[in-house]
Amino acid sequence: MKTLIDNIAIEGKNIVKDFGLGDTTTRVLKDVSLKVIQGDFVSVMGQSGSGKSTLLYILGGLDAPTSGSVFINGTDISQLGDEKMSKIRRQKIGFVFQFYNLIPNLNLEENIMLPLLLDGKKMRAYKKQLNYILEVVGLSDRRKHTPRELSGGQQQRVAIARALIGNPEILFADEPTGNLDSKTGAEIMSLLRDINKERGQTIIMVTHSLEAAKSSSRVITVRDGVIQ
Amino acid sequence: MKIILKYILTNVKERKVRTAVMLLSILLSTMLLFVSFSIGVSYESAQRKMAKGMAGSATVSVCAIDSSIDTNDIPDLSSIRAKVGMLEGTSLYAESGYYETVDLIAANLSELNQINKPRLLNGGDISDFSGNQVILPERFTSKYGIEKGDTITLQISGTLIRFEVVEIAAYDTVFLRHTRGATALLPLTTLAGLLGQTNGYSEILLESTEDTQTYELINQLEDALSYDEYRVSEIVNEAGITADARQKSMPFFLISFFSLTMSIFIIYSSYKVITLDRLPIIGTFRSIGATEKNVTHIFLSESMLYGCLGGLIGIPIGMLVLKMILHGMGQSLTQGIEIPVVISLPAVLLSFCVAVVVSLLSAWLPIRRASRLPIKAVVLGIVEEKHIPRRFIIGVGVVLFVVSAFLPKMASGNMLYLAGGFSLLGLISATILIIPLVTNLIAMGLERLYGLIFKNEGRLAARNMRDNKNIAQNITLLFISISAVIAISVVGNFVTTYISDVFHGAELQGFADGHMEPGFVAQVENLDGIEKVLPVHVFENKIQGNDITFSRLEATYNLEWHSSMFALHYTENAMQGYSISSFARERSLILSENCMERTGFFIGDTIILSNGDIEKPYLVTGSFKSRATDVEAVISSTYAISDFGATAYDFLAYTAADPDAIIVQIRDLFGDTSNWSRTVEEFNTDALSTVEAFLEPMHSMTYFILLLATMGVINNLLINYIQKRRTIAMYKSIGLSNKQNMKMILIEGFTSGLIGSIIAIFVSYMEIQTIFIVAGPKISMVPELDAWTFLTAGALGIIVTLLGSVVPIFKSRKMKLVEEIKF
Repeated sequence: MKTLIDNIAIEGKNIVKDFGLGDTTTRVLKDVSLKVIQGDFVSVMGQSGSGKSTLLYILGGLDAPTSGSVFINGTDISQLGDEKMSKIRRQKIGFVFQFYNLIPNLNLEENIMLPLLLDGKKMRAYKKQLNYILEVVGLSDRRKHTPRELSGGQQQRVAIARALIGNPEILFADEPTGNLDSKTGAEIMSLLRDINKERGQTIIMVTHSLEAAKSSSRVITVRDGVIQ
Repeated sequence: MKIILKYILTNVKERKVRTAVMLLSILLSTMLLFVSFSIGVSYESAQRKMAKGMAGSATVSVCAIDSSIDTNDIPDLSSIRAKVGMLEGTSLYAESGYYETVDLIAANLSELNQINKPRLLNGGDISDFSGNQVILPERFTSKYGIEKGDTITLQISGTLIRFEVVEIAAYDTVFLRHTRGATALLPLTTLAGLLGQTNGYSEILLESTEDTQTYELINQLEDALSYDEYRVSEIVNEAGITADARQKSMPFFLISFFSLTMSIFIIYSSYKVITLDRLPIIGTFRSIGATEKNVTHIFLSESMLYGCLGGLIGIPIGMLVLKMILHGMGQSLTQGIEIPVVISLPAVLLSFCVAVVVSLLSAWLPIRRASRLPIKAVVLGIVEEKHIPRRFIIGVGVVLFVVSAFLPKMASGNMLYLAGGFSLLGLISATILIIPLVTNLIAMGLERLYGLIFKNEGRLAARNMRDNKNIAQNITLLFISISAVIAISVVGNFVTTYISDVFHGAELQGFADGHMEPGFVAQVENLDGIEKVLPVHVFENKIQGNDITFSRLEATYNLEWHSSMFALHYTENAMQGYSISSFARERSLILSENCMERTGFFIGDTIILSNGDIEKPYLVTGSFKSRATDVEAVISSTYAISDFGATAYDFLAYTAADPDAIIVQIRDLFGDTSNWSRTVEEFNTDALSTVEAFLEPMHSMTYFILLLATMGVINNLLINYIQKRRTIAMYKSIGLSNKQNMKMILIEGFTSGLIGSIIAIFVSYMEIQTIFIVAGPKISMVPELDAWTFLTAGALGIIVTLLGSVVPIFKSRKMKLVEEIKF
């Protein structure tokens, strides 16, 4: 029988993050702790400078906490070296950024396959998976295009496809609709919702938009570095 | 204005690494430009000094036709500042059968000091100089291990006379010479006694006053002196010296050209990045009301600051480097010629102007583009690069490359220089345009190969190189740098060979200059190990052609051997065969191209050769140029004997299995008879010791070019990193480890180095062809290209790129991912 602990996708314990600015130090996150259950779709909201993005990046292993720990599947990722952390990013985490962050000179297929290629996988062996993902994001007919030949919404779909290709345990999204018009933003949110429902994908998303947050199953609000 | 200045200074201070690289690039290129300009002038000055030799500040020489001349014979002209009577003789110094010509000079020392004061090594003045005393140059004394106080024996008019070496002088002033042998200074009364010339001098050297031109003094002297009794001549041919020095300065100007090209590229690419980096600030300026002009002014002021600082620091450093290079040479030059440090105002001004102008112009293009961008696009960060169709760019590149490669081959006369300049610039520009295509093609080819060798990281690295402007930019700079190093090395080596190896390409391995009867030649022919022996009759200033005297006419019994022994390059290939057959059946002669130009003779002319007694018609069958001999005309020995009564030989060239063993035996055969016998190797060693000083700076300068090239490559890699750091962060955010990143950067670096090197090797080969096509008509030597030079430079390019890759590897290790990818 699975316990609640077994079902925890990610856990942050007493996370503190300080930023130094000249001689002064600002504490952005103040002893934050949280747990996210597998299959949850969590929205993190808060005002600008509240620390929500910092929390997301620390949970996703892109930034290190000043103190505290982050556990993914029982492993404290804040203690890992570069080699192991990179492996976790390739295999267990998917990231979607506000500005897409696609490699400009690689085509759509190559951009999507990057995490697998970096993991030493052969492109040919994952053809089926690639086709499936392309269908999910609705870009099967654009596979040979480069990012600059795609619209903002299409680029964000590529970023989502890239985040999903390795079948990660958690998908992190940092304001995925922040750079898109409302119609395209709604389409992206619908896609994320479908992915969460159909694949049972755990999603943690930072957003400013209440509309976007409605798609999630749980909303966390961060204010002055503390979860409310 | 104050706020703009503050903004500029803040930029300079905040971007420390960028500012340092920009400044260093401008500084290095300014320094290099200044040194290469100045070294050319210093070189020319040394050349002039060397050519003037014992004349010092004198510019005009007067001698009597049939007798000696006295200083009193010279009219008292106000245009004469100083005069000195020179008594001249010749002697032979022999050591173990090795004969060296020692020219003897003597003069009234107080008069000599005014025009060309000898510089003693101990720094003192010449005093109590009388009797059998001699002053020798250090170049000669160190060669033979002679010291002050030693006694040496000189053979003068067949008599052996002993002299005490009272002083050793520096190899300059009266001792400086541009021909082989040495010069010795004797007391005036001693030399006069030995020559039996108690009255007068061999020639009078005159120095004109400052406001008098040499030709004016010559005109005044010719008016005052009888043409039947005296000859007035200019001591040195200024135009000739300038032309000669220019030829030897060629590598330095080439260095200037390349350093300038590299600077432009470095500064241009730096500014492209700077403006890109500052687009948000440009947007802010524009959105609060700054005009295009304002923005352009702000950025241009900053580039001017870099230019001025680079110039102001670069020139003094250049002066120090110049002094160091020339002083370094001075140390090794106790046997050679001291090259003066000439810092000319034009070189200073030109270098400074170039620093500022190049900085401004290189910055202007990207700045102008940035300032003209629509405000909305800049503020929103949606600036897109102007798209120029790739086919058009490549088409222009290919056409320009072909035109640049063929233009020098089609041009002639003065147009050749213009075509050469266009070709050098055109080849570089065309290659810059074609590089993205070449990079794409090579990267495409390597993708699969790297996938097999380096796995997915290799494949991704090769894939990343396609359509990658940073990589293309890197390869461009690398190509310019490597081709500069190759071109300068090849031309430098060529000049070294050209100056120091006059027998380059000639078959002879040794020669004897002296009186040789046929019996003597037969003995040489019978020596063990001898291969070819070519005896030559020599007529110096004895034969006239249509009343024009040939300075040197030689007669040979085998024109085919003569041509190969002395590397005669016939004007047209067919001339050699025709002349050889013509020599065998009729009176014919071949002339040097210089002689034909001087005399106005043409191929096919029949000219009357005369020795004063006998006149015979000879047909001109060919023309040639040669660096191994200064002969003006060559005829057949058969006719030299029958027409001009030649019996003994005066010169002998040979080839042998062991040239050194043969020369020892030839010297033995001469015994006490004066001769000047050398192997080609011995001759070259002597020649090299004279010109070594000139060659050293070229090598030093090549290192500086390499330093600039390295700076450029590191600057580019840094730019590359700045532009690429977001991409690296993107890769890292999806799981690229530091190890994988290092692997990819090194593969990219290696491949960029490889592509840059291959392109550079090919293009520099084309550039060298152009350089020698332009210089070709003036040089009678075909350059030999050493594959090793090309390969070494190529390998160096790869190493520099790999070393430069260390910067982005370390920087990306410490990268803060969130900062790079958040916005």
